[in-house]
Amino acid sequence: MVLIAIIIGCVVGALIGMNAPVISYTYSGYLAIAIVAALDSVFGGIASTLKGKFDMMVFVSGFFGNAILSILLTFLGEKLNVDIYLAAIVVFVGRMFTNLAIIRRHYLDKWMNRHQEK
Amino acid sequence: MDKNKVALILGIVCIILTIAICVQVKTVEDAEKEVGKNTLSANGGLRDEVLKIREKYNNEYKELEKAELDLEQLRAQAAANNTVDLQKQEQITKINKLLGNTEVSGKGIIITLDDNREVSADEVLNVSSYLVHYNDLIEIVNELFNTGAEAVSINNQRIVSTTGIMCDGNIVRINGEMVGVPITIKAIGLPNVLYYQLIRTGGYLERMKSDGVKVFVEQSDNITIPKFEGVYTHDYIK
Repeated sequence: MVLIAIIIGCVVGALIGMNAPVISYTYSGYLAIAIVAALDSVFGGIASTLKGKFDMMVFVSGFFGNAILSILLTFLGEKLNVDIYLAAIVVFVGRMFTNLAIIRRHYLDKWMNRHQEK
Repeated sequence: MDKNKVALILGIVCIILTIAICVQVKTVEDAEKEVGKNTLSANGGLRDEVLKIREKYNNEYKELEKAELDLEQLRAQAAANNTVDLQKQEQITKINKLLGNTEVSGKGIIITLDDNREVSADEVLNVSSYLVHYNDLIEIVNELFNTGAEAVSINNQRIVSTTGIMCDGNIVRINGEMVGVPITIKAIGLPNVLYYQLIRTGGYLERMKSDGVKVFVEQSDNITIPKFEGVYTHDYIK
Protein backbone atom coordinates (compact mmCIF):
# COMPACT_ATOMS: atom_id res chain seq x y z
CA MET A 1 0.00 0.00 0.00
CA VAL A 2 2.69 2.45 1.04
CA LEU A 3 4.84 1.42 -1.92
CA ILE A 4 1.97 1.92 -4.36
CA ALA A 5 1.25 5.36 -2.93
CA ILE A 6 4.91 6.35 -3.31
CA ILE A 7 5.04 5.14 -6.93
CA ILE A 8 1.79 6.91 -7.85
CA GLY A 9 3.01 10.07 -6.11
CA CYS A 10 6.28 10.00 -8.02
CA VAL A 11 4.57 9.49 -11.39
CA VAL A 12 2.02 12.26 -10.79
CA GLY A 13 4.72 14.57 -9.47
CA ALA A 14 6.93 13.91 -12.50
CA LEU A 15 4.02 14.62 -14.87
CA ILE A 16 3.24 17.92 -13.15
CA GLY A 17 6.93 18.80 -12.85
CA MET A 18 7.50 18.30 -16.59
CA ASN A 19 4.97 21.03 -17.33
CA ALA A 20 5.90 23.32 -14.46
CA PRO A 21 7.70 26.59 -15.24
CA VAL A 22 11.42 26.96 -14.73
CA ILE A 23 12.52 28.89 -11.66
CA SER A 24 15.17 31.56 -11.78
CA TYR A 25 18.76 30.27 -11.61
CA THR A 26 19.55 32.38 -8.55
CA TYR A 27 17.13 30.33 -6.47
CA SER A 28 17.98 26.95 -7.93
CA GLY A 29 20.71 26.52 -5.30
CA TYR A 30 18.15 26.90 -2.53
CA LEU A 31 15.74 24.50 -4.19
CA ALA A 32 18.51 21.93 -4.53
CA ILE A 33 19.26 21.99 -0.81
CA ALA A 34 15.54 21.84 -0.01
CA ILE A 35 15.23 18.77 -2.23
CA VAL A 36 18.06 17.04 -0.37
CA ALA A 37 16.42 17.86 2.97
CA ALA A 38 13.01 16.63 1.80
CA LEU A 39 14.52 13.47 0.34
CA ASP A 40 16.10 12.77 3.71
CA SER A 41 12.70 13.20 5.39
CA VAL A 42 11.06 10.79 2.95
CA PHE A 43 13.67 8.11 3.52
CA GLY A 44 13.36 8.69 7.25
CA GLY A 45 9.58 8.29 6.94
CA ILE A 46 9.91 5.03 5.04
CA ALA A 47 12.42 3.67 7.56
CA SER A 48 10.21 4.52 10.53
CA THR A 49 7.18 3.01 8.77
CA LEU A 50 9.09 -0.23 8.44
CA LYS A 51 10.00 -0.08 12.10
CA GLY A 52 6.37 0.66 12.94
CA LYS A 53 7.23 3.90 14.70
CA PHE A 54 5.86 6.29 12.08
CA ASP A 55 4.53 9.52 13.55
CA MET A 56 2.69 11.70 11.07
CA MET A 57 3.31 15.00 12.84
CA VAL A 58 7.03 14.30 13.15
CA PHE A 59 7.19 13.32 9.49
CA VAL A 60 5.25 16.27 8.04
CA SER A 61 6.93 18.85 10.27
CA GLY A 62 10.31 17.32 9.43
CA PHE A 63 9.59 17.40 5.71
CA PHE A 64 8.69 21.06 5.54
CA GLY A 65 10.73 22.21 8.55
CA ASN A 66 13.99 20.71 7.33
CA ALA A 67 13.49 22.07 3.83
CA ILE A 68 12.76 25.59 5.06
CA LEU A 69 15.51 25.50 7.67
CA SER A 70 18.08 24.35 5.16
CA ILE A 71 17.06 27.11 2.77
CA LEU A 72 17.39 29.68 5.54
CA LEU A 73 20.78 28.31 6.56
CA THR A 74 21.99 28.40 2.96
CA PHE A 75 20.81 31.99 2.70
CA LEU A 76 22.60 32.88 5.93
CA GLY A 77 25.72 31.13 4.69
CA GLU A 78 25.64 33.16 1.50
CA LYS A 79 25.40 36.37 3.53
CA LEU A 80 28.24 35.31 5.86
CA ASN A 81 30.31 33.97 2.94
CA VAL A 82 30.48 30.51 4.59
CA ASP A 83 29.34 27.45 2.67
CA ILE A 84 26.84 26.32 5.30
CA TYR A 85 24.96 24.31 2.69
CA LEU A 86 27.89 21.89 2.66
CA ALA A 87 27.17 21.04 6.30
CA ALA A 88 23.49 20.57 5.49
CA ILE A 89 24.35 18.24 2.61
CA VAL A 90 26.73 16.19 4.78
CA VAL A 91 24.14 15.79 7.52
CA PHE A 92 21.20 15.02 5.25
CA VAL A 93 23.03 12.66 2.94
CA GLY A 94 24.63 10.93 5.92
CA ARG A 95 21.19 10.37 7.44
CA MET A 96 19.88 9.25 4.09
CA PHE A 97 22.48 6.49 4.02
CA THR A 98 21.61 5.46 7.58
CA ASN A 99 17.93 5.26 6.70
CA LEU A 100 18.67 3.38 3.50
CA ALA A 101 20.71 0.90 5.56
CA ILE A 102 17.73 0.41 7.90
CA ILE A 103 15.40 -0.18 4.94
CA ARG A 104 17.89 -2.56 3.35
CA ARG A 105 18.35 -4.55 6.57
CA HIS A 106 14.63 -4.79 7.10
CA TYR A 107 14.03 -6.38 3.71
CA LEU A 108 17.20 -8.47 3.94
CA ASP A 109 16.00 -9.92 7.29
CA LYS A 110 12.61 -10.64 5.83
CA TRP A 111 14.15 -12.38 2.85
CA MET A 112 16.56 -14.40 5.04
CA ASN A 113 13.73 -15.52 7.33
CA ARG A 114 11.70 -16.73 4.40
CA HIS A 115 14.74 -18.52 3.03
CA GLN A 116 15.37 -20.29 6.33
CA GLU A 117 11.79 -21.41 6.67
CA LYS A 118 11.95 -23.32 3.41
CA MET B 1 -1.51 4.29 12.96
CA ASP B 2 -3.87 4.02 10.04
CA LYS B 3 -1.94 2.54 7.14
CA ASN B 4 -4.03 4.31 4.49
CA LYS B 5 -3.37 7.67 6.06
CA VAL B 6 0.35 7.00 6.08
CA ALA B 7 0.24 5.99 2.44
CA LEU B 8 -1.70 9.12 1.52
CA ILE B 9 0.73 11.42 3.31
CA LEU B 10 3.75 9.68 1.78
CA GLY B 11 2.11 9.93 -1.65
CA ILE B 12 1.48 13.66 -1.33
CA VAL B 13 5.00 14.23 -0.08
CA CYS B 14 6.37 12.26 -3.03
CA ILE B 15 4.36 14.44 -5.44
CA ILE B 16 5.86 17.59 -3.95
CA LEU B 17 9.33 16.10 -3.98
CA THR B 18 9.22 14.92 -7.59
CA ILE B 19 7.81 18.27 -8.77
CA ALA B 20 10.69 20.02 -7.03
CA ILE B 21 13.23 17.62 -8.54
CA CYS B 22 11.78 18.01 -12.05
CA VAL B 23 11.78 21.81 -11.80
CA GLN B 24 15.33 21.80 -10.52
CA VAL B 25 16.54 19.48 -13.29
CA LYS B 26 14.87 21.66 -15.90
CA THR B 27 16.40 24.81 -14.44
CA VAL B 28 19.88 23.29 -14.43
CA GLU B 29 19.44 22.08 -18.02
CA ASP B 30 18.31 25.55 -19.08
CA ALA B 31 21.35 27.07 -17.43
CA GLU B 32 23.56 24.63 -19.34
CA LYS B 33 22.09 25.89 -22.58
CA GLU B 34 23.11 29.40 -21.60
CA VAL B 35 26.64 28.66 -20.39
CA GLY B 36 27.97 25.21 -21.18
CA LYS B 37 29.19 23.14 -18.29
CA ASN B 38 32.41 22.10 -20.01
CA THR B 39 33.66 25.52 -20.96
CA LEU B 40 34.06 26.66 -17.39
CA SER B 41 34.18 23.33 -15.60
CA ALA B 42 37.38 24.27 -13.81
CA ASN B 43 35.73 27.44 -12.56
CA GLY B 44 32.39 26.29 -11.22
CA GLY B 45 32.07 29.43 -9.18
CA LEU B 46 32.69 31.67 -12.15
CA ARG B 47 30.05 29.87 -14.20
CA ASP B 48 27.58 30.34 -11.38
CA GLU B 49 28.44 34.01 -11.22
CA VAL B 50 28.03 34.45 -14.97
CA LEU B 51 24.61 32.80 -14.92
CA LYS B 52 23.41 34.85 -11.97
CA ILE B 53 24.65 38.14 -13.37
CA ARG B 54 23.16 37.39 -16.78
CA GLU B 55 19.83 36.62 -15.17
CA LYS B 56 19.99 39.83 -13.18
CA TYR B 57 20.87 41.75 -16.34
CA ASN B 58 17.95 40.22 -18.22
CA ASN B 59 15.54 41.12 -15.42
CA GLU B 60 16.79 44.69 -15.24
CA TYR B 61 16.67 44.96 -19.02
CA LYS B 62 13.04 43.86 -19.03
CA GLU B 63 12.27 46.52 -16.44
CA LEU B 64 14.07 49.13 -18.53
CA GLU B 65 12.04 48.15 -21.58
CA LYS B 66 8.86 48.46 -19.57
CA ALA B 67 9.89 51.87 -18.26
CA GLU B 68 10.67 53.05 -21.78
CA LEU B 69 7.26 51.93 -22.93
CA ASP B 70 5.67 53.82 -20.04
CA LEU B 71 7.70 56.88 -20.91
CA GLU B 72 6.55 56.68 -24.50
CA GLN B 73 2.92 56.51 -23.43
CA LEU B 74 3.32 59.38 -20.97
CA ARG B 75 4.96 61.47 -23.65
CA ALA B 76 2.16 60.72 -26.08
CA GLN B 77 -0.40 61.67 -23.45
CA ALA B 78 1.37 64.88 -22.53
CA ALA B 79 1.78 65.91 -26.15
CA ALA B 80 -1.74 65.07 -27.25
CA ASN B 81 -3.15 68.58 -27.04
CA ASN B 82 -0.23 70.68 -28.15
CA THR B 83 1.08 70.97 -31.70
CA VAL B 84 4.60 71.96 -30.66
CA ASP B 85 4.81 69.11 -28.21
CA LEU B 86 3.44 66.75 -30.82
CA GLN B 87 6.18 67.75 -33.22
CA LYS B 88 8.82 67.26 -30.53
CA GLN B 89 7.33 63.87 -29.74
CA GLU B 90 7.55 62.84 -33.38
CA GLN B 91 11.12 64.05 -33.48
CA ILE B 92 12.03 61.94 -30.47
CA THR B 93 10.45 58.87 -32.04
CA LYS B 94 12.31 59.47 -35.28
CA ILE B 95 15.64 59.97 -33.54
CA ASN B 96 15.15 56.84 -31.47
CA LYS B 97 14.51 54.89 -34.64
CA LEU B 98 17.70 56.19 -36.22
CA LEU B 99 19.74 55.63 -33.07
CA GLY B 100 18.59 52.02 -32.98
CA ASN B 101 16.66 52.33 -29.73
CA THR B 102 13.51 50.85 -31.23
CA GLU B 103 12.70 47.91 -33.43
CA VAL B 104 12.19 48.99 -37.01
CA SER B 105 10.71 47.34 -40.06
CA GLY B 106 10.42 48.10 -43.73
CA LYS B 107 11.57 47.15 -47.21
CA GLY B 108 15.13 46.15 -47.91
CA ILE B 109 17.46 43.28 -48.66
CA ILE B 110 18.69 40.21 -46.86
CA ILE B 111 22.23 38.95 -47.46
CA THR B 112 23.14 35.46 -46.33
CA LEU B 113 26.80 34.49 -46.05
CA ASP B 114 28.16 31.08 -45.18
CA ASP B 115 31.50 29.30 -45.19
CA ASN B 116 32.07 26.90 -48.03
CA ARG B 117 32.24 23.57 -46.25
CA GLU B 118 32.42 21.46 -49.40
CA VAL B 119 36.11 22.03 -49.99
CA SER B 120 38.79 20.25 -48.02
CA ALA B 121 42.00 21.87 -46.86
CA ASP B 122 44.14 19.57 -49.02
CA GLU B 123 42.45 20.46 -52.29
CA VAL B 124 42.65 24.23 -52.28
CA LEU B 125 45.47 26.73 -52.18
CA ASN B 126 44.04 29.05 -49.55
CA VAL B 127 41.30 27.76 -47.27
CA SER B 128 40.94 31.18 -45.70
CA SER B 129 39.34 32.60 -48.83
CA TYR B 130 36.44 30.14 -48.46
CA LEU B 131 35.49 31.51 -45.05
CA VAL B 132 33.54 34.56 -43.93
CA HIS B 133 35.80 37.02 -42.15
CA TYR B 134 35.13 40.08 -40.04
CA ASN B 135 36.54 42.40 -42.69
CA ASP B 136 34.00 41.01 -45.18
CA LEU B 137 31.29 42.12 -42.79
CA ILE B 138 32.84 45.57 -42.42
CA GLU B 139 33.06 45.97 -46.20
CA ILE B 140 29.46 44.91 -46.70
CA VAL B 141 28.15 47.14 -43.91
CA ASN B 142 30.08 50.07 -45.38
CA GLU B 143 28.66 49.39 -48.83
CA LEU B 144 25.16 49.11 -47.42
CA PHE B 145 25.33 52.41 -45.57
CA ASN B 146 27.00 54.02 -48.57
CA THR B 147 24.11 52.87 -50.76
CA GLY B 148 21.59 54.46 -48.42
CA ALA B 149 20.62 51.72 -46.00
CA GLU B 150 18.87 53.22 -42.99
CA ALA B 151 19.16 50.32 -40.56
CA VAL B 152 21.46 47.31 -40.70
CA SER B 153 21.71 44.25 -38.51
CA ILE B 154 24.05 41.27 -38.57
CA ASN B 155 22.55 38.15 -37.01
CA ASN B 156 20.13 40.39 -35.10
CA GLN B 157 22.89 42.67 -33.81
CA ARG B 158 21.90 46.20 -34.81
CA ILE B 159 24.72 48.23 -36.29
CA VAL B 160 24.78 51.59 -34.51
CA SER B 161 27.31 54.39 -34.18
CA THR B 162 29.17 52.66 -31.33
CA THR B 163 29.21 49.21 -32.88
CA GLY B 164 32.54 47.49 -33.32
CA ILE B 165 33.02 44.55 -35.65
CA MET B 166 36.00 42.61 -34.43
CA CYS B 167 37.72 39.35 -35.28
CA ASP B 168 37.68 37.00 -32.31
CA GLY B 169 39.20 33.79 -33.60
CA ASN B 170 36.60 31.53 -35.11
CA ILE B 171 33.76 33.95 -34.42
CA VAL B 172 33.14 37.64 -34.98
CA ARG B 173 32.28 39.96 -32.15
CA ILE B 174 29.63 42.58 -32.87
CA ASN B 175 28.43 44.87 -30.08
CA GLY B 176 30.45 42.59 -27.81
CA GLU B 177 28.28 39.60 -28.69
CA MET B 178 29.43 36.47 -30.45
CA VAL B 179 28.33 36.12 -34.07
CA GLY B 180 29.13 33.12 -36.22
CA VAL B 181 28.25 31.62 -39.60
CA PRO B 182 25.73 31.39 -41.20
CA ILE B 183 25.52 35.17 -41.22
CA THR B 184 22.33 37.01 -42.10
CA ILE B 185 22.69 40.69 -42.83
CA LYS B 186 19.45 42.61 -42.98
CA ALA B 187 19.31 46.13 -44.33
CA ILE B 188 16.37 48.49 -44.63
CA GLY B 189 16.46 50.86 -47.58
CA LEU B 190 15.29 51.11 -51.16
CA PRO B 191 15.42 47.41 -52.17
CA ASN B 192 16.26 47.88 -55.83
CA VAL B 193 19.14 50.24 -55.21
CA LEU B 194 20.58 48.16 -52.39
CA TYR B 195 20.23 44.92 -54.32
CA TYR B 196 21.76 45.99 -57.62
CA GLN B 197 24.56 48.00 -56.03
CA LEU B 198 25.53 45.08 -53.80
CA ILE B 199 25.59 42.46 -56.55
CA ARG B 200 27.16 44.72 -59.16
CA THR B 201 29.93 43.26 -61.32
CA GLY B 202 33.25 43.67 -59.58
CA GLY B 203 31.52 44.48 -56.33
CA TYR B 204 32.55 43.07 -53.01
CA LEU B 205 29.90 40.37 -52.91
CA GLU B 206 30.89 39.14 -56.36
CA ARG B 207 34.50 38.97 -55.28
CA MET B 208 33.49 36.97 -52.21
CA LYS B 209 31.46 34.64 -54.39
CA SER B 210 34.36 34.05 -56.74
CA ASP B 211 36.56 33.41 -53.71
CA GLY B 212 34.27 30.51 -52.88
CA VAL B 213 32.14 31.91 -50.05
CA LYS B 214 28.46 31.11 -50.26
CA VAL B 215 26.63 34.37 -50.87
CA PHE B 216 22.92 34.78 -51.31
CA VAL B 217 21.11 38.10 -51.70
CA GLU B 218 17.36 38.64 -51.84
CA GLN B 219 14.98 41.57 -51.78
CA SER B 220 12.24 41.60 -49.23
CA ASP B 221 9.24 43.79 -48.53
CA ASN B 222 9.02 42.99 -44.88
CA ILE B 223 12.21 43.12 -42.86
CA THR B 224 12.25 43.58 -39.12
CA ILE B 225 15.46 44.75 -37.52
CA PRO B 226 15.71 44.45 -33.73
CA LYS B 227 16.75 47.32 -31.55
CA PHE B 228 20.27 47.90 -30.25
CA GLU B 229 20.53 45.92 -27.04
CA GLY B 230 23.50 47.71 -25.60
CA VAL B 231 23.65 50.99 -23.75
CA TYR B 232 24.95 54.33 -24.98
CA THR B 233 27.29 55.86 -22.46
CA HIS B 234 28.08 59.56 -22.19
CA ASP B 235 30.59 59.88 -19.40
CA TYR B 236 33.20 61.95 -21.22
CA ILE B 237 31.16 63.88 -23.74
CA LYS B 238 30.83 67.45 -22.56
